[in-house]
Amino acid sequence: MNDDERRMPAEEMIGRLTPVLSPRVRVRAVTALLSGLAGAAFVATLWASEPGPLPGRTRVAFGLFIVLGLAWACYGGWLITRRAPLFARDRVIAAWLAVAASGATTALMAAVAVQRGTGLGAALAGGSGFVALALVLAVRARARHRHLLRQRDRLSRERG
Amino acid sequence: MTDELLVVRAQLGERGALAELVRAWHGPVWTYARRMLDAQRADDVAQEIWLAVVRGLPRLREPGRFAPWLFTIARRAVTDRLREEYGRAEASREGEPVMDDPAEAAVDRAGLVAALSGLPVVEREVLVLFYLEDLSVEDCAEICRVPPGTVKSRLSRARRLLRDRLAEEEPRL
Repeated sequence: MNDDERRMPAEEMIGRLTPVLSPRVRVRAVTALLSGLAGAAFVATLWASEPGPLPGRTRVAFGLFIVLGLAWACYGGWLITRRAPLFARDRVIAAWLAVAASGATTALMAAVAVQRGTGLGAALAGGSGFVALALVLAVRARARHRHLLRQRDRLSRERG
Repeated sequence: MTDELLVVRAQLGERGALAELVRAWHGPVWTYARRMLDAQRADDVAQEIWLAVVRGLPRLREPGRFAPWLFTIARRAVTDRLREEYGRAEASREGEPVMDDPAEAAVDRAGLVAALSGLPVVEREVLVLFYLEDLSVEDCAEICRVPPGTVKSRLSRARRLLRDRLAEEEPRL
C-alpha cells in the first residue's frame, strides 16, 4: 500500500472539521458573550444605583451575579477565538446583535436609574460606551465584508 | 476555481468553498506532514493543521498568498510535534529515520521516500517544500523564516545528502 492509499481521505477531514464550522456553536458563542456582558452590566447598574447601603449577603449575591455574567462572556469569547471562528458574514451579524443588545441594556439600565432617581449619568455613560464599541465593530465588520465581496466579484470576472 | 477566489469565498463564510479548499490542499498538507513524520502522526498533525487553518482563515489578509501561509501553519504544527517528541525521547533520535515501523520501511525503502525520510529534519523540510510541494525559494524562505540564501544552501546540502543516501542504497537493491 503506498502513501496515497494510506492517507486519510479529504472527505473524512472535512467531516472532522464540521464541529468547528457548526452554526450552532457560533450562535452559542455570540449569545454567551453578549448575554454575559449585558447581564453583568445590568447587575452592576442595579448595585451602583442602590439608594442605601446593602447588607453583606446582598452584596455577595450581586458580586456573584456579576462574576457569573463575566464568566459566560469569557466562555463566549473563548469559543469565538479558539473553537468556532466568525467569518465575515458572521461578524456582521454578531456586531449588529451586539449593537441591539447594548442598546437594549442601556435603555434598561437608564430606566432602572430613572425609577430609583440615582445613577442615570453612570448608566448612560457606561451604556453608551458599550453601544459605541459595538457600532465600531459593526462598521469594521461591514467594511471587511464589502471588501471581500468586491474581491470575490473581481476574481470571478477575471476567471470569466 | 483559483485558490484566491476559494479563500475569499471561504472568508465570507461559504462552507462549500472551505470544503473545496480542503479537498484541493489536503493532499499536499498530508504529504508534507508524512514526509516529516510517520503515517499515523501525519493524520493527527494534518487535522491539527486544518483546525488552525479554519481558526486563522478569517484573519488572513492576503488570500493570494494562501499556500505559504498554509505551509507556515503546517511547519509550526510539525515542529511542535517533533519538539514534543524529541523532548520525550531526548536527542538520541536526532538524525535517525522517522519511520520506525520495519514493515512500513520495507515497503517504502525501494524509492526515494525512504532516502528522504532518513535526512535530517532541516534538509528534509526544505526538499519537501521545494520539490514535492513545488513552492518557490522565496515561499520556502517565508515558511521556514530564513533568508532565501539559507534555503538555497539547505537545498544544496539536502541534494548532496540525498544523492549519498541513494548511492548507499543502490548496491543493496
